[in-house]
Amino acid sequence: MANTLKIDYKNVFYPPGGILMWIVIYLELVTFGIALVFMALSARAEPEMFHESRLLLNTAYGAINTVFLLSSGWCMAQSVHFLKKRNFSKSRLFLNLTMLGGCLFLALKSVEYYDKVEAGLTIGYNDFFGYYWMLTLFHVVHVLVGIVILALSARTLRKKPETLKVEDYVSGATFWHMCDLIWLLLFPIIYLLF
Amino acid sequence: MAYVRFDLAIAFPNNLFTVLKMEKSFNITWIVLIVLTIVTAIFANMEMKYVALIILGLAFLKFIGVAFFFMELKKANVFWKVLLIGFLGVLLTAVWAI
Repeated sequence: MANTLKIDYKNVFYPPGGILMWIVIYLELVTFGIALVFMALSARAEPEMFHESRLLLNTAYGAINTVFLLSSGWCMAQSVHFLKKRNFSKSRLFLNLTMLGGCLFLALKSVEYYDKVEAGLTIGYNDFFGYYWMLTLFHVVHVLVGIVILALSARTLRKKPETLKVEDYVSGATFWHMCDLIWLLLFPIIYLLF
Repeated sequence: MAYVRFDLAIAFPNNLFTVLKMEKSFNITWIVLIVLTIVTAIFANMEMKYVALIILGLAFLKFIGVAFFFMELKKANVFWKVLLIGFLGVLLTAVWAI
């Protein structure tokens, strides 16, 4: 049956998105996690500098970007849902909205970066901004890779939707959600905590 | 397919009720996540003793919301759930304790 997906997700080897993607996700989360722990350790050594530097960040930009990514994640989940139902037009619509959310995130991030560079708050300004630039830029790279993956899926969905494998599509979606997960760690810790 | 060969296959439920339930689940998750983001922003501007703990707690909830509902980890084997919650618990506790 075309609209039947036969995967037992309860089997430990078949998590939604595929085991390889989840291994990648854990490795990414551990990498970012270690960097955030080091950031917290640096903040402990210089709490005032970290607090003053944190106040130089635009929290509203961070919060709006969180909304963009969460909304984008919601669209991605809907897109996968409609693909499983073989409703290609709705799946494509939500996939395009997902990419739009990603592009809006990148656009606002660019504005934020421009403001910081204009103010001289570059990567070498102090330890806080060193962590800020490294962690957020590394995350931006993931968002860019995610958009490329989604764009390739969108191309297949537009030209030959019946050839698109649901498992592959879910893997791409899982990568995209990983960008959400990383941001949900970065935003509170970098923008709000110190 | 390997799933069928190893007798792991179950039919993905596709009746109308399940479909509507799933869409509702995504919508509710999204609304909760947005509300939690707003609550986080409100708490971040408050001068409270345990504000850091609250912010990290809200981050924990949002993270779980995305992983379990959008990424459908709730359907996965308990191993993956425990691994994710364990990692998140250790990380956020470490950041808070430091």
